[in-house]
Amino acid sequence: MFQEYYMAESVSDALSFLNKGPGDAVIIAGGTDLLLDLHEGKKRTKSLVDITRIPELKNLSMEDGIIKIGAAVTHAQVAESELIWANAPALAMAAKKVGSLQIRNIATVVGNIINAQPAADTAVALTALGAKVTIADTSGTRDVHIDQLYEDVGKSRVDCRRELVTEVIIPAHEQNQSSYFVRLEQRKALALPMLNIAVMVSLEKGQQRFEWVRIAMAPVGPGPMRATNAERILKGTEIDDEIITKAAYEAAAQANPRDSDLRGSREYRLQVLPALVKRCIKTAVAQVVNKG
Amino acid sequence: MKTFNVVGKNIKRNDALEKATGKAMFSTDMNIPGMLYAKVLRSPHAHALIKSIDTSQAEKIPGVKGIATWGNTPRELFNTSATMTFTVPSMEPVLDQYIFDKVVRYVGDEVAAVAAISEKVAAEALKHIKVEYELLPAVFDPLEAMKPEAPIIHECHAGKNIPAEIVKFGMGDIEKGFAESDIIFEDVFKLPIQKQAQLETQAALAQVGSDGGITVWSTTQTPHPSRMIISKIFSTPQSKIRVLNPPYVGGGFGVRIGLSAKAEPIAVALSKLTGKPVKIVYTREEDFTSSDTRHGGYVWVKLGCKNDGTFQAMELKSALNAGAYCSFSGETPGVLGAMGLAVYRMEHMSYYGHSVYTNFTPSGAMRGFGNPQAMFAIEAAVDTIAERIGMDPLELRLKNIIQVGDNWCLPYTCGSTGLAECVEKAAKVIGWERRGTLNEPGSKILRGIGMGVGTHCSNAWPFCVDYDNAIITVQQDGSILLAVGVPDIGTGTSTTLPQLAAEAIGVEMSQVNMTFGDTLTTPFDIGSHASRTLYAAGTAVVAAGNDVRKQILEYAAVVMKIALERLDITKGIIHISGSNEAESCEGSGICRSGEESMTHISVRELVYHAHLRNKQFIGIGRTIPPNSPPWHAHFYEVEVDTETGMVKVVKVAAAHDVGKAVNPMIVEGQIEGGVLMGVGYATSEEIKISAKGKPLHTSYHKYLLPTAMDAPEIHAIIVESNDPSGPYGAKGVGECGMVLSAAAIGNAVYDATGIRFNEIPLTPERVYKRLQENKK
Repeated sequence: MFQEYYMAESVSDALSFLNKGPGDAVIIAGGTDLLLDLHEGKKRTKSLVDITRIPELKNLSMEDGIIKIGAAVTHAQVAESELIWANAPALAMAAKKVGSLQIRNIATVVGNIINAQPAADTAVALTALGAKVTIADTSGTRDVHIDQLYEDVGKSRVDCRRELVTEVIIPAHEQNQSSYFVRLEQRKALALPMLNIAVMVSLEKGQQRFEWVRIAMAPVGPGPMRATNAERILKGTEIDDEIITKAAYEAAAQANPRDSDLRGSREYRLQVLPALVKRCIKTAVAQVVNKG
Repeated sequence: MKTFNVVGKNIKRNDALEKATGKAMFSTDMNIPGMLYAKVLRSPHAHALIKSIDTSQAEKIPGVKGIATWGNTPRELFNTSATMTFTVPSMEPVLDQYIFDKVVRYVGDEVAAVAAISEKVAAEALKHIKVEYELLPAVFDPLEAMKPEAPIIHECHAGKNIPAEIVKFGMGDIEKGFAESDIIFEDVFKLPIQKQAQLETQAALAQVGSDGGITVWSTTQTPHPSRMIISKIFSTPQSKIRVLNPPYVGGGFGVRIGLSAKAEPIAVALSKLTGKPVKIVYTREEDFTSSDTRHGGYVWVKLGCKNDGTFQAMELKSALNAGAYCSFSGETPGVLGAMGLAVYRMEHMSYYGHSVYTNFTPSGAMRGFGNPQAMFAIEAAVDTIAERIGMDPLELRLKNIIQVGDNWCLPYTCGSTGLAECVEKAAKVIGWERRGTLNEPGSKILRGIGMGVGTHCSNAWPFCVDYDNAIITVQQDGSILLAVGVPDIGTGTSTTLPQLAAEAIGVEMSQVNMTFGDTLTTPFDIGSHASRTLYAAGTAVVAAGNDVRKQILEYAAVVMKIALERLDITKGIIHISGSNEAESCEGSGICRSGEESMTHISVRELVYHAHLRNKQFIGIGRTIPPNSPPWHAHFYEVEVDTETGMVKVVKVAAAHDVGKAVNPMIVEGQIEGGVLMGVGYATSEEIKISAKGKPLHTSYHKYLLPTAMDAPEIHAIIVESNDPSGPYGAKGVGECGMVLSAAAIGNAVYDATGIRFNEIPLTPERVYKRLQENKK
């Protein structure tokens, strides 16, 4: 399957390994998708570079209102993190929904993003949360907004043979903000979603009006899709059922799901999408109100 | 009531430690020196003629040791299911399979197999086998397949593509019954194809000796019938063949009653070709595409009733999807009808049912065997009638259920029923009285409660050949070896049968050991299926135990100089009835043989006494079991999310009349497992195909078995009616938990939404669509 398995000790060590060879080395963290792809011949490589023992990539912390999640942090760590539940709940909810406990124990959140599957739960949450990823190469690092990361189905704009995503950066919720994630699923574990929706709301003082709302939905396009028209409708408006309903239908109008023999028709997904968006918005608003 | 020492107790399972520590051996684990590995080339087409097969390139690959095709394997017709060994005259078993044929009839059908030094090499070799196909028209729906223009899948005498026979039976005068009815409900129901999805995939390891003797370790649920099938295919005497489990089987649920799909004959054929032991383990995908499924298809029900709720007449019809080969497609429609018509008492009944060949994966036996299909339709009819006459569906059922001694359509009597008690107990647990008060107006999440009642069999007699043998050999040290030919497919057989033996003889559980699932060390037994193992094989075990006990007591009476009638055996001590057996005399003076004042002697001492005088106690049980109906009442509370169509089963009360729970914890496990399998059947599980017949649900990931996270709160309730025919009153259990889930969940969803679903699974999309239509 592969000939070399390299345990990188630092980010620079991993990058130099990637760049010294013929350019076919692949980074492995949890490997829950990669190893299957290699086994089934969908991907090929001679060398794997394991980044899970690089100390700085194991970081999960918050400083000055910024949450940082290193590339070796697993779904289980995020799903169990009080810090994430308190400051970016949609992400904890999404991380908890991936695969099974065994998978969550090794699969990383950054891997979930980079693998670029259309319905990656944490990527949907991170899109609503306005996250950025830090990409390192031999010349330095750059931060890229998660919206800009997707090239096509299964393809991110990170060049994994040359670059390494070191962490994901999320602005922590402020007092007037919260987020929520829902998933339409055929069973409660080990199933890809029929739909997943994440919403982050920021309310104006007095909690009567939306300051702004970010809505991410999937799988309705190559990557998590922002319901930008719905977001525009809600921006600065008074919070009421009517406007939320209007925005939810606008989100569906922007979505472009496919027909799937396994996970539901396009028609069905478009029909139920507004209800899920509404639930997300309303619950997120309620969570802000509950903060006091 | 008789008190028991071993029966009725939660004895720790004999296989628990081995399985919990991963040491238990399964066919998949088997490994013997020089062993080769087999891989199978399967048809990519739903129906095609094989014009040519060229294996020359594959043979050149280093490590390839042999390739089997239709050209170099026996042209002996068989049926992978045990039906070919137990079909009762005047019916004839349908033999419609070769190991490899010149025609492929479904996507996944066997074309060729390679034996090589590794699975990897064998898999590589498959890519180099060149097959030329001529495509034939294919058909996938049973009703379509009966039409004159449909392609012929097999020539049949009963009708176009109808395997075996059309099953017809009934009683009374059905037309008169409907004419006398005030209310008649009639409708058709469509059932999906469900998969057993047992943990261990089909597997076999075959070794052919230089004398032509064949040994096969495999996942079969029926080693003795499997040996008969292998004997026919390879024209080898049964006495030169050994079929065994090593000794465990990773689940069955009916998928290997008979051969483990074609694992055994492929392994044997390749072993014969290569002269080496050959092992084959199906991948999960192969298990999905190329081993038997539950029958999907259509069930029609017509139920006539008086205004006062008295059932008058029921007509039941079925057309089941047999798939590409017969397997159990003769028997399944029979059981569907027999069980469906056995629940309610009425004068007039009729059944007409059969299977139809299609180009699907073959359907065969699966837990419930037609019964869940029947009850989904019948219980919908009963609930609808109840609503129309304004009667509580629970009361309507209690008014009409079969009672002991009633005239019914089955060829044996109803010797016991605890169904009314099941209904009463389960209704209390679910809170039936809350029905109709569960929803606030305008609520988007609707709750509902539904119920169903039903029965099943405790073995296959008299529909199929069904008999059992057990041998109990008392060893010279007083330990006891029980030999029974049934496997333990995970249902606890290797614990519960020793429990019966210990109880019958009067010894401690720890004194009894068991050999099982091996044709060499056990006498013939028809196997572990049809909820029969404890009931039917148990009858033989009790007979053998009683035989041994009698021999021991007769010998003891002479030794102890006490009249036989005064002696009893308790916990391994032979003593005078009524005296305290706990005062064991072991080691004391009075125990010495021949003492005048002897009042107690241990079995251990007595058998050694006998050994020194050239005698051993060997008990034999040879029984033809009768049959007896287990009964069950299931209640389900569900939640329907009207905005998404999602159906969530919240709580289940499942009461089962099991006659007598020999090991209550094992019984509860069987009920809970059956319920969850039924929840999957009702809400999420289905194998669908592409337009060209390629199965879409071919992995645990795609096929939606409920997970532990999806499991509702399940209350397994045991009711004991102490059946007069079963061992210590026991009846069948294994399949029963699965029979009513779809029926009761369908009724619960109706209660929640007012929508009757005639088709399962109740996927969110199917439910949502109807909710939307209903709004209009």
